[in-house]
Amino acid sequence: MKHRLMASVASLALVAGAAGAADLKFAPGEGGFNWDSYEALKSVDLKGQQVTVFGPWLGPDQELVQSVLEYFREATGADVRYTGSDSFEQQIVVDVEGGSAPNIAIFPQPGLAADMAGRGQLTALPTETADWTRENYAAGQSWVDLGTYAGPGGEDGYYGFFYKVDVKSLVWYVPENLEDAGYEVPETMEELKALTDQIVADGETPWCIGLGSGAATGWPATDWVEDLMLRTQTPAVYDAWTTNELPFNDPKVVAAIDEFGWFARDNAKVAGGAGAVASTDFRDSPKGLFSSPPQCYFHRQASFIPSFFPEGTVVGEDADFFYFPAYAEKDLGKPVLGAGTVFGVTKDSPAAQELMKFLQSPIAHEVWMAQSGFLTPHKGVNTDLFGDPTLKKMNDILLNADTFRFDGSDLMPGGVGAGSFWTGMVDYAGGKDATEVASEIQNSWDSLK
Amino acid sequence: MDNIAGSKSSLTWAVHLSVAFLVILWLFPTVGLFVSSFRTGDQIASSGWWKSMFPTEQNLVIRAGAPDTQVQQGALYVIEGDLFDGRSAGEVSVWGISSREIDAYKAGETVTLKDGSTLTVQPDGIFRMENTEEFTGSRGQRIFITATTPPEFTTDNYQNMLLDPSNREGMSKAFFSTLTVTIPSTIIPILIAAFAAYALAWMEFPGRAILIACVVGLLVVPLQLALIPLLKFHNAVGIGKGYMGVWFAHTGFGLPLAIYLLRNYMVGLPRDIIENAKVDGATDFQIFTRIILPLSFPALASFAIFQFLWTWNDLLVAMVFLVDSSGETTVMTKQIVELLGTRGGNWEILATAAFISMAVPIAVFFALQRYLVRGLLAGSVK
Repeated sequence: MKHRLMASVASLALVAGAAGAADLKFAPGEGGFNWDSYEALKSVDLKGQQVTVFGPWLGPDQELVQSVLEYFREATGADVRYTGSDSFEQQIVVDVEGGSAPNIAIFPQPGLAADMAGRGQLTALPTETADWTRENYAAGQSWVDLGTYAGPGGEDGYYGFFYKVDVKSLVWYVPENLEDAGYEVPETMEELKALTDQIVADGETPWCIGLGSGAATGWPATDWVEDLMLRTQTPAVYDAWTTNELPFNDPKVVAAIDEFGWFARDNAKVAGGAGAVASTDFRDSPKGLFSSPPQCYFHRQASFIPSFFPEGTVVGEDADFFYFPAYAEKDLGKPVLGAGTVFGVTKDSPAAQELMKFLQSPIAHEVWMAQSGFLTPHKGVNTDLFGDPTLKKMNDILLNADTFRFDGSDLMPGGVGAGSFWTGMVDYAGGKDATEVASEIQNSWDSLK
Repeated sequence: MDNIAGSKSSLTWAVHLSVAFLVILWLFPTVGLFVSSFRTGDQIASSGWWKSMFPTEQNLVIRAGAPDTQVQQGALYVIEGDLFDGRSAGEVSVWGISSREIDAYKAGETVTLKDGSTLTVQPDGIFRMENTEEFTGSRGQRIFITATTPPEFTTDNYQNMLLDPSNREGMSKAFFSTLTVTIPSTIIPILIAAFAAYALAWMEFPGRAILIACVVGLLVVPLQLALIPLLKFHNAVGIGKGYMGVWFAHTGFGLPLAIYLLRNYMVGLPRDIIENAKVDGATDFQIFTRIILPLSFPALASFAIFQFLWTWNDLLVAMVFLVDSSGETTVMTKQIVELLGTRGGNWEILATAAFISMAVPIAVFFALQRYLVRGLLAGSVK
């Protein structure tokens, strides 16, 4: 009996070992990957060292990030562990304060990382990393600025490294529906507005907009307002807005909110009527594109939304997207709104530093982008590797942007960007006056200073 | 007498009716959840569960076979198939090929499409596309149908959750580790609380009333307040994150209510028995083990049910005190949250997970429920 037990344990261990080796998604040396950066990593020996990574990704995303970390494990021998949580923002604070910090934390937005850097809970990254980011990321300086926070002593340091970004300025549609109705994909904001009016005139509903998201209800509207700010004002004004140099109740901001209202507060323009905007869940909202007959023609949402399309939808064929266009008459180029996840070191160790270096190598980006749902500003990657042509198209939007700006609500203090801005937009969608809403948000910002 | 009897019976009738109404009202959400757990995500998103039990008229968009499924029959290229393939058969009434006119044609009609091919859709969902030229492209023709479909349920959700190889291992591991968390977390606080409750109920010592007041006061302290200090303490004394930590935490958080509940029950036991025992020379420990414990069994059992349910359903305490970033420990609730994905919203998984995780607590409840009822009643009947 004992022998049999030992034998089965041994065979289990063997199976586990074999499974470990077969876990690499793409065999090294094959395909157009930058395998040099993987081979170079093999010189680093981290056998027996554990690196723990804690982040917000769960489910399929968790499998994807693990498939990337697997290459690090395979090359260096380090024992990399990833765990995810749906309440990452709360849990990382508890863990770090309680003294059980993971080595590396993946922040879904920079605000929290900045907070923790200020309290001395993050380890600053070496200056080479900042230099590397500046040189190798498209719009490198802006990524460095977004990852630079005031440390515990008030001095600036580079704490957050961006890896995996999302593009938000996208409008999703079903090409065949547009074809059936004889509409063209609009190139400018003027055309988009004209098409919206025309669809209404034809007796149909142009937009699906849903702001519901549990405790975070309202955030999709903040993306709308940010996108419209970038399309009506210069990037400098946008930056001033996110730092509150430009007050929230400035007429320029109120105008952007009213622009959003032009789309969302007109019963004829939104599926279900303006009253349904705040109560429709953002995950259910895009389903209106695919219903029979279609409830709407357009849905403005970030690059992650295809995971909420009905089962079996092929992006690029059944559904597609176009760049949320800019006004032709306002000379503001093609601004792009995006977001990204920040990697920060919460408990320093040599292996953690090596893992941060690994994230700079092209292979760390290529393994994920060859699968799904990954965009990167890294200029050194082989963009032919994108898992599907849609991702490549999105990445081109990112790389060709005249102006790239980070999601403004993520840059504002938590109480505003993840608080009064959200609730204010829900109030606005419910029929409240834009000036009043903007003043209330400004008041809440003042009270935080 | 007849009058009294008559009025009595009409009253019982009203009581029965209102009880039935309350039971139905109470069960309503659970039934909804149960029905939803047998539906696909798309079905849940498109119609309510109460509609799923009857045949309904639905508007569906279905793609005909892709051009690579075409076969050559003489001079014709043909794509044939069943629109209801893979779903329960329905009956097509009208159909269309444009999103603007989804009811343009009657079932059985043959229509000429833009590219010169002809399309026929039969009432039973069989379609046939014919063309003299080869079909090109990568996707099939969209067909909009209005069809009456019978109710359709699936056990896929349960299969995905319990039998899917990628989840199975995680789920069974989580199941056993949840048991490892809950069983000691139920037994330890009951043990401690039973001793404490006896002391607070029957042993005379100075400051007893204040002590009881303190315990009652602790009931209102939210446990979130203690998370960070307690975790710091666990790290300082060296137990860190792990089963020990989570047992202590659950014990601490469960004790105030346990002591309060058991003390109130024990105070209600007849004084005569205890005084008799004392006169006969029994020590406090003997009184506790021989008399109080057996008599308080219903109260102990009912608290055990509560504590078991809380710890079984708990996610917060487990995440803080058990699940560390090495990912080796997990609990059922965490596993379910993981299945939901980064942005959540998978109602079919949520509904199914609710029923799977409910199975054990329901078994525990039915095993112990006669004690629960006795525990609630025992104080009132002497």
